[in-house]
Amino acid sequence: METKLLQSNDLPTLFDNLQKSGKMILAPVLKKGGKVFFERVTSYDQVASDFIQTQFSAKSVVFPKVEELFTYKKTETGYDVTESLASIPETVVWGLRPCDSSAFDYISEFFLKENPDAYFATRKERCTLIAISCPKADDACFCTSVDLGPGSTAGSDILLTVMGNELYVEVLTKKGNAVIETAPSLFKDTTAKIKDEYLAKITTRFSIDEIKEKIKNAYNNAEWKQESMGCLGCGSCAFACPTCTCFDIQDESNGDEGSRKRCWDACGLSLFTKHNSGHNPRKNQTERRRQRLMHKFKYSVENLGIVSCVGCGRCIRVCPAHLNIFENILTVTKD
Amino acid sequence: MSIKNTYIPYQMRIANITEEAPLVRTYRLEFVNPDEASEFSFKAGQFAEYSIFGEGESTFCIASSPTREGYIECTFRSSGRVTKALAACELNDIIGLRGPYGNTFPIEDWYGKNIVFITGGIGLPPLRCVIWNLLDQRDKFGDISIYYGARTTKDLVYKQELEDWKNRGDVNLFVTVDPGGESPDWKGLVGFVPTIVEQNAPKSTNAVAIVAGPPILIKMSMPILAKNGFANSDIYTTLENRMKCGVGKCGHCTVGKTYVCKDGPVFSYDEVLLMPAEY
Repeated sequence: METKLLQSNDLPTLFDNLQKSGKMILAPVLKKGGKVFFERVTSYDQVASDFIQTQFSAKSVVFPKVEELFTYKKTETGYDVTESLASIPETVVWGLRPCDSSAFDYISEFFLKENPDAYFATRKERCTLIAISCPKADDACFCTSVDLGPGSTAGSDILLTVMGNELYVEVLTKKGNAVIETAPSLFKDTTAKIKDEYLAKITTRFSIDEIKEKIKNAYNNAEWKQESMGCLGCGSCAFACPTCTCFDIQDESNGDEGSRKRCWDACGLSLFTKHNSGHNPRKNQTERRRQRLMHKFKYSVENLGIVSCVGCGRCIRVCPAHLNIFENILTVTKD
Repeated sequence: MSIKNTYIPYQMRIANITEEAPLVRTYRLEFVNPDEASEFSFKAGQFAEYSIFGEGESTFCIASSPTREGYIECTFRSSGRVTKALAACELNDIIGLRGPYGNTFPIEDWYGKNIVFITGGIGLPPLRCVIWNLLDQRDKFGDISIYYGARTTKDLVYKQELEDWKNRGDVNLFVTVDPGGESPDWKGLVGFVPTIVEQNAPKSTNAVAIVAGPPILIKMSMPILAKNGFANSDIYTTLENRMKCGVGKCGHCTVGKTYVCKDGPVFSYDEVLLMPAEY
């Protein structure tokens, strides 16, 4: 890893150089209502600052909300099928948080380790992550409870930390180096710095090692019903979550032409597991809410060795019924 | 990009259509592209995603045996958007197929053993693959018994093959319909499948049992097999959950940490007992 310094007023120049190098840039943008979303930006003044977290994650860069798998056209002998991989652009995600970068590590492991996904692989290859560490946090943040932190470098190609008028730049990968190379004169080498005083203080809610142990016996806990009582099955938590990866596959057609697409789906939705016969293996909202938490803290660990929650707090902020994932987890794993 | 894209389907021509029962059809499918035909291979227990371009995909087992080359067969009931569109197809129509997916029945472990099949209704298609796979190498196995039933005479599938199996002489075939479901000229058994199994008390010595079909049939057959001495590790089933991608990504089929599509759909009953009952 290399460490560098960048003057804060040089950030717009770095941004412009990236823009000129032909990459598409996704950054946090302040929208009406005071919420911040990742959007395509072309100038630095569109980028939001002074916010804690975006409403939705940046995962749509590598796992879009709706993703075309292929287009088809009926012919006399069958169908002409064209795979939809070619048009994926080189993209930079600018200004995501360390929790979000770590989430990219999880979803990469999920999509690529076994039965690698061609679409995800292409998008991930063409994607660079420039994260900014967190000077502030709110009550929904709990990254330190899942062994992450406001200055964690996991998953990023570059991590920027604001230190007064300067930015401490940790260059973590070859892709990170390529970003530096777009404007090398802006950067000064530096020795490694301690970030702590510039990072948010985040309340640790639990020990993840304890949770991983206790959740093994939590499936039949009677508390699930109370903890899931308010759940509306709206799916907002899954859609905002940087590590949720479930999807549906649907066709769209227009006469003899059409496409097959995949789109985000959520285990919290009532039809998610329902069989055509009418039988539903997860027949009520308690069972569906339980699935979400068991998956994040137990099944992901069993399958990939990683807890799939990064403590970003989005599900807590976005839930219309004010459900709180770390409170729920603590209750169902209480002795 | 060297990763094979599993979402691009093979194109298959419908080479034969059999109306098995009300709303139930079997399609014999041949690859449009002969190169794909020769590279495709599967084993008993695996399934595929069958699709109508423009309507969507549906999951069924591969109902023909891998010992029969040049074609594959699927049997399905028309019940939803995609299956209704599939049922409206005609001979020589082109449909899509992705696969094969899933694990397989451990047939090599069963050499020399007696095999007991228990199923009902359209639970027979996934087992028909195994049955023909065994019958095509008949001398490798001991006694083969098949317990099969349906709600009514009309609902029995593979009616011609049931006759063939009855007349072969090397299969113990018990075909039954639910009480009240027999047609006037029905000459077979009458009674629920688990009842017929109980009456015939299949022996568990050197035997394995394969149970598939409606959940109620599985639920009622397990205690009977246990009573007759079958160990849970000698009972196999094929779980069917809502499946979409087929490769352990979309999340629809999970039971605990297990993906029915890639860790199954074939499980031994002791494996099933370790899972949460979310299937």
